[in-house]
Formats: sequence, C-alpha cells, structure tokens
Amino acid sequence: MATDLPLVLPGETIDATLIPSSQKHPLRLGPGLRHIPPSDIVPTAAGQLITNPVKNSMWIEYNSNRYTPSQGDIILAQILRSTGDFYLCTLSPHTAPATLPHLAFESATKKTRPVLQPGQLVASTGKADGLGPIGVSPGSPGGCVFDVSLGFARRLLMARSREEGGVGVLEMLGGEEGGGLAFETAVGRNGRVWVGSESARTVVVVGRALQETDRGGLGMEGQRRLVKKLVRDMR
Amino acid sequence: MPREAEPSLNEKQFVTQALQENLRLDGREFDQYRPIELNFGDQHGVADVTLGKTRVLAKATAEVTVPYTDRPLDGIFTIATELSPMTSPSFEVNRPTETEVLLSRLLEKTVRRSGALDTESLCLVAGEKCWSVRVDVHVLAHDGNLMDAACLAVVAALRHFRKPDTSMAGGVLTVYTPAEREPVPLSWLHSPFCVTWSFFGEDEGEMAVLDATWLEEQVRVGSCTVSLNKHGEICQIAKLGGTPVDAVALLQCTSVALTKVKEFSDLVDRRLAEDLKRRDKGGFMAELRAENDR
Repeated sequence: MATDLPLVLPGETIDATLIPSSQKHPLRLGPGLRHIPPSDIVPTAAGQLITNPVKNSMWIEYNSNRYTPSQGDIILAQILRSTGDFYLCTLSPHTAPATLPHLAFESATKKTRPVLQPGQLVASTGKADGLGPIGVSPGSPGGCVFDVSLGFARRLLMARSREEGGVGVLEMLGGEEGGGLAFETAVGRNGRVWVGSESARTVVVVGRALQETDRGGLGMEGQRRLVKKLVRDMR
Repeated sequence: MPREAEPSLNEKQFVTQALQENLRLDGREFDQYRPIELNFGDQHGVADVTLGKTRVLAKATAEVTVPYTDRPLDGIFTIATELSPMTSPSFEVNRPTETEVLLSRLLEKTVRRSGALDTESLCLVAGEKCWSVRVDVHVLAHDGNLMDAACLAVVAALRHFRKPDTSMAGGVLTVYTPAEREPVPLSWLHSPFCVTWSFFGEDEGEMAVLDATWLEEQVRVGSCTVSLNKHGEICQIAKLGGTPVDAVALLQCTSVALTKVKEFSDLVDRRLAEDLKRRDKGGFMAELRAENDR
C-alpha cells in the first residue's frame, strides 16, 4: 500500500487542500467519511484518506472486522435456504441473511432458474448477473474458500493490486517464483476468497499464501520468500 | 441466539478430499499439533494456553469451607467450565450447549476422577474444616480442540497454584497470610492430559487427525478423546457417537497419544521451572539480606 497518503483519525478536520474540487461531478464520499451540513467532512474511521480527482470522490481505506454491505460490491455469499422467490444467503457469520432473487441470475426465468443447495457459494453483486454459483458443476474443481481480512480482500480486488494494493502473491504463485501453478480465484469483498484448481495441493498452497500474507502483513519481499518456501515444501 | 455459521459445501468437500491426499488446510502433518504456548499469570494458579487461534485461561482458587457430610475426611475440588458469548456469539450465558457439557464432563473425568489431586490432603479438621479448591476455565477464543487446550490449562494452573499454609495447635486452626508463611503447593499425584483424535472418511477410522481446527471439527465424522499421563496410564477414553472406529486403529491412536502426552508433560515442567526462576530473584541469599524490608 502506498505510504505517502495522509492518515486520518475519527473526528479530525480534513485539510481543505486534500479535498478534490472538480467542477464536472458532485463530490462523492465513500466509506469512513461523513458529511455534516453545511460544509464539514469528518472521518468516522481511522485509516488512509484516498482521493480520486477524476471521479471527484474520496474515501477512507481501513481494515475493519465486520463487513458492511454496500451496493455494487462483489461478494461471495453462502446459500442458507431457498424461499418462494429468492435465496437467503449469509455474507458473514452471525449476521442477518441477505436475499438474492431467483430471477437475478443471468437469463433466468421462472422455469430455468438455477437450483442451489444450502451451503453452496454464489458470487454476486446483489444481482448474480454474469456471476453465479461457484465450483459446483460436475467436471469443475470444487475448490475451497479461505477467510481473509476485509482490507486484504479489497487490496486483492484493486485493478492494479500489485502496485496499489501491494499484493503480489497470486501473480508470484502463477509466475516463475511459484513454478507456474495453475489455479483460479474469486475474491469477495466480504473477506472470502475462493481458490479452485485441479490439484488439491495447489489450492492448499494458494490458500495458505493468501492467509499468511494477510496475517503477517508481508511486503513484496516477504511474499516472494513465502511463496518460494511454500512451493518448496509442496514438492 | 445466532446459530453457528456452517461451513460451505465447497469447504466440507475439500477438507475430506484434501485429507485423502494427505493434506491439511494449514499444511500440518496428521499427528502434528499447532504451536502450543503456555504462560503463567502474575498470581499463582493462573495458566493461559494458546493452541493456534484457540485460547483458554484457567484460574485456580482455594477457600476454607465445611466438608460434605458423607465425606468428612476429604476436601472439595471442583472444575467450573464456562463458554461465554466472547468465545462465539452462538454461546449463551446460563444455557449450556452440548460442547460445554461435554467439555466439563471430560475435564471432570480426566482430572478429578483420576485422582490427580489428593483430596484427602485438603482436609484440615475432620468433618469441620477443609480446603475447597476450584478451577475456573474460561475459553477466550475457539478455533477447535478446546478439550486438549482446556485440560492442559487446568493441569498447569493446579500445578502452579499455591494455597496458604496452615497449622493446628491445641485445637486452633491458623491460616497464614503469604507474608507470614510461604504458600504451599497442592499435593499433586500425577498429571493427566487429553489428546483428541478426529476421524474422517467413509471407512472405519480411515483417517485420524490430531488437534483439529474448528473447520475440521465441523466436518469430521467422529472423534475420540484419550486421557493419560506420561507413564501411559489411561484415565479415560471417550468415544461419543460418530462412525465406528477399528480397534487396531484406536490402539495405534493411544500409542501416538502417549508420545504427545510426554511432550505436554515436558512443556508444563519446563514452563513451571522457568516461572519459578523468574519469581525467585537472587534466590535464598537475596531474601536473607539485612537491607531487605522487615
């Protein structure tokens, strides 16, 4: 993660020069910021203040324990049970279930809707359009889900996760350090990462690499060493 | 009461599938424990055991009470187990779950019924006064294998505990404060430890795994807890439900359990010795120096 970004604490006043001021779009506030009328912007969480001058938006990047759902997030939900029109899914343990309509799946009609069993995983943005059940079709590898922290999941989901997020384990495992392991992943913003591969050994190695990078807060060099060690132990 | 989150179908399938390929999700061997940490508190009788992400705290206390009328020559020894909502939101106060009942029963059988603590030594005046020793077990974090961690914590706490010294002179019982007389350790006879095996697979005890994590515990088809001391004397074997396990496999489990128990025993001995060294600053000579406070 870039370290030159300003750190803010809850209730602090934000330096006016940091607030983007584009005339094209209205200013948009993301997680961790609150607008107090008429013109105060107050952080409600401790973390890094991130601004995007092009989209005229700002938010705070921080690592919390509980997932707060928000619109448009890609998440890995677990089917709890089915009701008449929708599935009830859990996003995180010990929280109220979320609903996922049967007709939200791509080209689903009343007759062709997918039948999902309790316990199955679904990648979804609230509408399962273009996404859907994970690792359940007979030929495909079942894979496994690993829990990571929310901040780490967000870093993995960044468009340039290696440069901006500072996460290179996945690339390393698939690249020359990892000897070109073949696997696929699906990251949910609710802190769950699904890893699928033909070989169970690869799934375990990828899952451990992700969890240990997250727990240890490893930098690039640490990640490279971890990947080399895990791949060496695997053989 | 929020229900405990079930693992997804993918996880359930994968754990068993990986075990069939001799793999565990955290890269351990089948008979390998997670790193065990044992720490003692500032007070005597407080032991904190960390087993991976599982954490259990045990605290031993003693007070003078009246013995039970049917056992006038014995002291009182109780183990109180509590799984609070801090462990997991699915545990509720004053409503014991199955896990909690099994945990306290197994601790009772392992430590109390095996005669690890000599309760007769707790008697002060026959039929009138005795020590009541109580161990409170608090589970601070639950990531599987509570049994082994809790048993280790209870044994370590009791061996670390010191009760106030007493004397009887002319029918008068005196309980000394720590300043008057050094508190004395309990009369401890042997140290039993629990080793829990989890079984996976269709066949009878096809795959046996030590120190299962919470995910593995949710997927397993059976489990067996063996309690024994380092001399190989078995205190109890609990195989509560689950799929049947081959007798030969069970015998093999107990022999591996013995090597693990020896390791636990060494760990407790070593940590107790380290703790004694830490408390004993300068030794006996430093205590006798003239410049000390009177």
